Amino acid sequence: MSSTNTSLKELVLNGIVKENTIFKLALSLCPSIAVTNSLKNGIYMGFAVLFVQVMVNLTISLMRNVIHPKVRLPIFMLVISGWVTVTQLLMAAFVPDVYAKVGLYIALIVAFASILARAEMFASKNSFLPSMADGLGMGIGFLFALTTISFFRELLGKGSLTVPTGLASQHTFTFINTKPLLIMVLPAGGFLAVGILMALFNWINARYAAKAAAH
Amino acid sequence: MTAKDIIKITINLVVIYLIGGSILAFVYANASPRVFRNNEETEKKALKELVPDADANEKHEWSSHEKHAKYFIMKKGGETIGYVIQSFGKGYSSYINTFIATDKDFRVQKINILGHGETPGLGDEIETDWFRNQFKDKSIDHLKVIKGDTKEDIQAISGATISSRAVTEDAVKNGVAFLMKTVNQPAAAAEQEGGHTDVKH
Repeated sequence: MSSTNTSLKELVLNGIVKENTIFKLALSLCPSIAVTNSLKNGIYMGFAVLFVQVMVNLTISLMRNVIHPKVRLPIFMLVISGWVTVTQLLMAAFVPDVYAKVGLYIALIVAFASILARAEMFASKNSFLPSMADGLGMGIGFLFALTTISFFRELLGKGSLTVPTGLASQHTFTFINTKPLLIMVLPAGGFLAVGILMALFNWINARYAAKAAAH
Repeated sequence: MTAKDIIKITINLVVIYLIGGSILAFVYANASPRVFRNNEETEKKALKELVPDADANEKHEWSSHEKHAKYFIMKKGGETIGYVIQSFGKGYSSYINTFIATDKDFRVQKINILGHGETPGLGDEIETDWFRNQFKDKSIDHLKVIKGDTKEDIQAISGATISSRAVTEDAVKNGVAFLMKTVNQPAAAAEQEGGHTDVKH
């Protein structure tokens, strides 16, 4: 029992650190640049992806024995788009304010490389508990990446941070009243932020690994 | 591929379609009435904010940039006190969904940007108070964008002239022009005259 517990924990951690969608695998970079010009958009988008990722992994792993291998990709796409549409409808119904801001990008989740990749590489080969843990890890890793990227982009580009204080409310903290580095909220700044943070993430990881090896 | 494979694939896809379709139908059936109510509420809130004095309104429809839009005749105690019109402006990267409130002489009182997809950091300044407040008491002749300081007209946002123009000269101006052309002119004129005779007495 304890061995399955640790392996589940490892699966979750794997998605956050070792195989972080953005910082390590460099997948789904397009949305990570498109939505991260304010902290709240990054956070909302991260949660939407987390939900879809877990549900898709769960569904695929439950169906893995009945899917014919020749049509597995169309079926993965159907499952993903189904869950994305459900997310979209639920958000429009229950959190309309959030939906008004990120609704446009939610539909993009259908084309996320990371979700299709996890369905193909993991969920279609494992039972539902590890698949859920994997989805959770991948989703949290993505949420973490979007949060850090949008934190730095908004802070540097607008001099403020917009923090969601609830499902429909938000608060903007303004630190500098001018725009210190406008380029950071423009698309070009997205590339800069992703690149620099990716380097930083890998540098910290490498140092940590070296220290662990030394001990 | 054997006949068995073909049958299995067909059953696979049909079953997935059916299950997926019914889940979506179920969620949609439950979500859509809520979405409809949410939209109604947002609209009500927007109107209340634009013309707080009004206690009733008459809803009409028109189209702006071939999109479905609405306008409202705002009333208080049966008298028309102003108008609110929804209008779209073609911006740099999106259509800017704007609500414009005017008094009964068609002078702009307040505008609200309900939705847009302009460049963050530049074009999205059309949402700021300083830009929107410039519209107060502007008549249709002064709805034009000037680069540089101006009190008479609308000052462009630096770095976002296209977005400023889209709001001012497309959305607001066309909306107000439509109101002036469409809304019952004789009645408005009569009210104005009534006002003048009151002064004389």
